[in-house]
Amino acid sequence: MARIEFKDVSHSFEIAEGKEKLEWAVKDMNIVWEDGTANALLGPSGCGKTTMLNIISGLLTPSKGKVYIDGKDVTELSTRERHIAQVFQFPVIYDSMNVYNNLSFPLVNMNFPKLKIKEKVRKIAEILGLVDYLDAPTSKLNSAEKQKVSLGRGIVRDDTVGILLDEPLTVIDPKMRGELRRQLKIIQRDLNITAIYVTHDQHEALTFADKVAIAKDGRLVQIGSPHELYSNPVSPFVGYFIGSPGMNILDAKLNGSTLSLNGFKIELSKDITDKIEIKNSECQLGIRPEEIITSKERTTETIPIKVAIIENMGSYKILTLIKKNGSNRDLSIKTRIDINMSVSKGDIVYLKFPEKYLKIFKDNHKIY
Amino acid sequence: MPQCDLALWQQLNIFILANRDEIDSKRGKIVSIRIENVNKSFGKYLVLDNISLEINDGDFVSFLAPTGSGKTTLLRVMAGLEKPDKGHGKIFYDGVDVTDVPVRERNIAMVYQDFINYPSMTVYENIASPLRVSKNKISEKEIDKKVRETAELLDISKILKHYPSETSGGQQQRIAIARALVKNTKYVFLDEPLANLDYKLREELRGQLKEIFSYNKKGIIIYTTAEPLDALILSSHVGYLNKGKILQYDILEKVYNYPQYIEVASYFSNPTMNFLEANLVKENDDYFIKVTDDLKIKINNTLKDKLNKKEYLLGIRAQAIKPNRQTKNDIIIKGIIELAEVVGSDTELHFKYKDFRLLGLSQKIESYQIGNTIDLFIDLSKFCIFDKDTKRLVCRVGGEK
Repeated sequence: MARIEFKDVSHSFEIAEGKEKLEWAVKDMNIVWEDGTANALLGPSGCGKTTMLNIISGLLTPSKGKVYIDGKDVTELSTRERHIAQVFQFPVIYDSMNVYNNLSFPLVNMNFPKLKIKEKVRKIAEILGLVDYLDAPTSKLNSAEKQKVSLGRGIVRDDTVGILLDEPLTVIDPKMRGELRRQLKIIQRDLNITAIYVTHDQHEALTFADKVAIAKDGRLVQIGSPHELYSNPVSPFVGYFIGSPGMNILDAKLNGSTLSLNGFKIELSKDITDKIEIKNSECQLGIRPEEIITSKERTTETIPIKVAIIENMGSYKILTLIKKNGSNRDLSIKTRIDINMSVSKGDIVYLKFPEKYLKIFKDNHKIY
Repeated sequence: MPQCDLALWQQLNIFILANRDEIDSKRGKIVSIRIENVNKSFGKYLVLDNISLEINDGDFVSFLAPTGSGKTTLLRVMAGLEKPDKGHGKIFYDGVDVTDVPVRERNIAMVYQDFINYPSMTVYENIASPLRVSKNKISEKEIDKKVRETAELLDISKILKHYPSETSGGQQQRIAIARALVKNTKYVFLDEPLANLDYKLREELRGQLKEIFSYNKKGIIIYTTAEPLDALILSSHVGYLNKGKILQYDILEKVYNYPQYIEVASYFSNPTMNFLEANLVKENDDYFIKVTDDLKIKINNTLKDKLNKKEYLLGIRAQAIKPNRQTKNDIIIKGIIELAEVVGSDTELHFKYKDFRLLGLSQKIESYQIGNTIDLFIDLSKFCIFDKDTKRLVCRVGGEK
């Protein structure tokens, strides 16, 4: 297996059309997928992830920049020459062949000795849990098993350098999705393959990958472990996109050590103000619903606010709180409370924002 | 946030607030949809099997079930888009038999899973269209007022001049919902309206739907979903379907807290409830429901009287099993991590304990190595006991109100 790298990769579909002002599908991307790691590429539709995928697999040559596999420049190599396996949304299998012949097909094409083929297919089938199905026609398989056969065909060759998984659970029956999600993770770990999982689904990305790259509008926004993205987002977008409900992003104004939000103020300690270069400016305050302390009792330095919506999530409740602000924009905050705390719509609750959780953003970047 | 400015709804709301006690006392008495012994077949397949239900004014009913259980068919039969099998079932609206009344003559609105809008009309015209085809002639001024009010409610005022194709998936579904609401009908049917939205849009629209429908206190909302969370957040009543039959129908709190069957408990829990084989045993003078030597619950006399068999299934919610201490009485077990699944802001821990595969919950996003052994803390003050043979609920102890 191998290390895959993007160096200053940009791509525009308009270069061929000779336009002067180009729209970039992906722009200035630098990223390394280390050997044997589980990675994800996460972003909303239109973020450029499919373009990135095609650049990795070799279906697309980037307008600028280089692609390296184990340090070797492969930018100009074809898909065939790169040996990157791919699993698509729909299982790609040969319907007329049984499972064994599907799995052995790439090896037969390479003129592998028969005995060797048998050994390799058997090993892959064991890892995928398909041993009992080897003689079965593929038409007898369910969608999850078919998807495993597509995966198996991709990784049966020894020279496969990595695997791209392009929304592989889309057409899988919901009941089997959980199980396949679990198996994909285990297969990646057992085989030590470099895997890149592409999806718009935060659940799948954060479950599969040790390292997740978040893309937006053709640019990489942040690369990190699920925990890093959750606890230390570099922009309001990441804060909101990761977590459910996402991070509260509140418009604020910074004056010295005072952070003014619509209708209330927070005094920042020296620890924070020392680290912020900007002293007087518009900014945004970020804090997660589960980090805010919500109480029914008024104490010092709490913010009174009215309950607008209560959502019972089974293990906790999510409150949507609204503070009317006359002609200014209303302040809307979500908080998470214990399932046993009883509140009604229209109640006033009191909020406390623990300083250790506060994030401050300016111009879409984290400044604290 | 959508602001509700619909004058009528606001008036209604004030009226309801002023007369809440009286209305509440009448609640449960005003039956306005009744379905009696409904069968529905497609060819030789019986999709609905002798369903009877009574739904009251002001109810938000969710039919919850996995795909293929008949919930969409039930909704369509109730709305009049399908007829029950001939001679097998009747449907009443406000006491009037509407079984043979065509859908367009009923006072209903419908929202489908795929956002159905007219592609050649602007968002404004899409929302206005149900008013334009209405039998009662409505003035342009009145139409304009209603369209703008409804658009405001659904937070789509800014895109009224756009065409549906120029809007996002979430906005397209809002337009479809606005078209359903603009008529101000008594009955609104929604068939998995959030199913085709990605998770962020789903999360946003779900919270807003709750707000939007909370103004429509007198109407009846019928909603189908395969997502337990939708049912949990939105409904006043939940019906769980299995193979065309209603397995349990009751107010939300009853179905969630007292699931009458293992199947209901398993599906209508978020995350899925754990079920462990357990025996009723006597040790010294005390009775226990015992899973293993470490995992057993002392049973008091009242509970003991309900248990007359030896073998049971103990139901424990995933949220009662955490990687950190919850109460001083927690039981600690060793679990081998099989998968840590990140869901929203939580991490669901699939782990193995002896021969059991269990699910616990950490209420943050954390990394766990597959194969590692960790301590898990179980709060055994809340649990359900099911009969192993009949799969029915025997009793429930503790838990949420």
